[in-house]
Amino acid sequence: MTTLSQVDLDPDRDYPLAARRPELLKTPTGKRLDELTMQAVLSGDLAPEDLRIAPETLRLQAQIADRVGRPQLAQNFRRAAELTALPDELVLSIYNALRPRASTKQELTDIAEQLERDYSASLCAQLVREAADVYERRNILA
Amino acid sequence: MTKQSRRTEILEQRPVNLDGFVEEWPEVGMVAMDSPYDPEPSVRVEDGLIVEMDGKPRAEFDFLDQFIADHAIDVATTEQAMAHPAVEIARMLVDPAVSRGEVLDISRGLTPAKLLEVVKTMNVVEMMMALQKMRARRTTANQAHSTSARDNPVQVAAEAAEASLRGFRELETTLGVVRYAPLVAIALQVGALAGTPGVLTQCALEEATELELGMRGITAYAETISVYGTEPVFCDGDDTPWSKAFLASAYASRGIKMRFTSGTGSEVQMGNADGKSMLYLEIRCILVTKGAGVQGLQNGSISCIGVPGAVPAGIRAVLAENLIASTVDLECASGNDQSFSHSDMRRTARLLPQLLPGTDFVCSGYSAVPNYDNMFAGSNLDSTDYDDWNVIQRDLQVDGALRHVPEAEILAARGRAARALQGVFAQLGLPAITEKEIEAATYAHGSKELPLRDVLEDLKAAQSVMDRGITGLDIIKALEASGFTDMAHSLLAVLRQRVSGDLLHTSAILTPELETLSAVNDANDYAGPGTGYRPSGARWEEMKRLRHVVSARNPEQEVG
Repeated sequence: MTTLSQVDLDPDRDYPLAARRPELLKTPTGKRLDELTMQAVLSGDLAPEDLRIAPETLRLQAQIADRVGRPQLAQNFRRAAELTALPDELVLSIYNALRPRASTKQELTDIAEQLERDYSASLCAQLVREAADVYERRNILA
Repeated sequence: MTKQSRRTEILEQRPVNLDGFVEEWPEVGMVAMDSPYDPEPSVRVEDGLIVEMDGKPRAEFDFLDQFIADHAIDVATTEQAMAHPAVEIARMLVDPAVSRGEVLDISRGLTPAKLLEVVKTMNVVEMMMALQKMRARRTTANQAHSTSARDNPVQVAAEAAEASLRGFRELETTLGVVRYAPLVAIALQVGALAGTPGVLTQCALEEATELELGMRGITAYAETISVYGTEPVFCDGDDTPWSKAFLASAYASRGIKMRFTSGTGSEVQMGNADGKSMLYLEIRCILVTKGAGVQGLQNGSISCIGVPGAVPAGIRAVLAENLIASTVDLECASGNDQSFSHSDMRRTARLLPQLLPGTDFVCSGYSAVPNYDNMFAGSNLDSTDYDDWNVIQRDLQVDGALRHVPEAEILAARGRAARALQGVFAQLGLPAITEKEIEAATYAHGSKELPLRDVLEDLKAAQSVMDRGITGLDIIKALEASGFTDMAHSLLAVLRQRVSGDLLHTSAILTPELETLSAVNDANDYAGPGTGYRPSGARWEEMKRLRHVVSARNPEQEVG
């Protein structure tokens, strides 16, 4: 069986994915696009979690971004794929911790470790570590 | 008193003389794009790392320099790209025989000072030629503000419906009283659905709150994610390039489209321009955006337009910022969104450099309400300018993405929006909307013509929307239960977009047919005369219609 990470996308042929490759798309709760119906909304079978993007989908979109020459956008999608696993409150709290003079170097290092340990979010952890170094050099740690 | 000529008296009374103009003062950054204190372009790479940029060694990089050097600039090609003389790159930008892709191959390796040097060789007509080619999406679009001086949700809904019907693909709101946000954001969403399907909505708020409304599916995208061109001002905005890059990924992780916002003049206005020109600092913002992996940028001075507008060549610099955003392959929502001049001639002249070549969003806030109701402090164009806009489109055969809509259709959509909001509020247990309010919102020009609401009750209800965790799904259910089935379906279709992430790509919009159009499947293919997007067929026929057009055979008869 081909896993999603092995799917080879051609932007001209496959984008937009919802119209051209719906079979590749699933919500993080395992639902297909054609299951996201009005009937499901009204019967209460659809929760807000069902209208989220799955990490696999973000990695497919990253592949498309790379193929149309947008590596930074692709990298953003890959960081985003990692963040799909984090609860909203944690995402907001990490954002707030990254504001200037909001955190000590240790606090940022701890966040990076938590991202790696609990969520396998190595790209995001790398971003936070990089911030910690720059903040130290530019004197904007707490 | 010295005797004055009648001519001088008349000129003194012209609206343009109410505008503010000021001399250049490069030492404090009061200079548009030509400062003796801007750095000379340079780059040096060692072991795959940029160790010098624009005359500064890496050890002296501020946080913007470092972010740009490590994330925005293509290290592999930068030395080669920088070797091209600025004027040669400018000629490539203007020459239709050079493709957009060929320009991107070079622009991905350019430093801020080099990009500045390139645009400094160009006049506004050359910049417009270049923008026509470098805009990311082939088809142009437009964005409107729908706000209310009284934060009246019924008015916001009705105006959103009209704006949606007139052709805007994005609608933005903001508040006078911030606590009103949840009700007004719901009103904007519901109202937009009553016009055409697929209009994306946003509510401009403090970053964290804006993200929360987005996560709940009450808004569809975000834009007020501000970045600044100097380190002290960036910190005053309580952010860094890294916090903003993280925020960008946070939005994408929830499938929500977003762009950053920046603009010339913000740093000098916030009192810390580091003695650099406004455009040099703005280019740093553009490259931070690029480096963060954000698909697009709202720029063109935005809320600071009075600053570049007051200095020589300021409006040329504003065009240059839009051009550079497009030249580094970002979606550009190109300003024209803030009151800027008392002179109708001058505000039109400020608009044409974006309208004529076309941008991804010509206005990043055309005021769909009269400017007195515009809570972004007024826009360069407002709801009294609709007919002028449509005539200019028709005169020049240039697609500004709007259309004339007959009165009966507008009234129907406005009324339907207000009635749908009445239903949604009732279903969600929010304060009632009366028949009188619906009638008033349908026929009003602005908030002065609407009955006052009980603000305290509304604010309590707004808080309850947050406390009860109301989401986009609740709005869908409320629309369906109130009998607005088609609108419920459209909203579900918009929310379903999050699952696919197609709207996360550069310059993405939804068409009224709910198809995704972005720089991936609608890439700008302009290559000179006879190519690229030109209004034709059904769209051109639509653009020919105005409020008053008479029959050529019978001048007594209007064909409207």
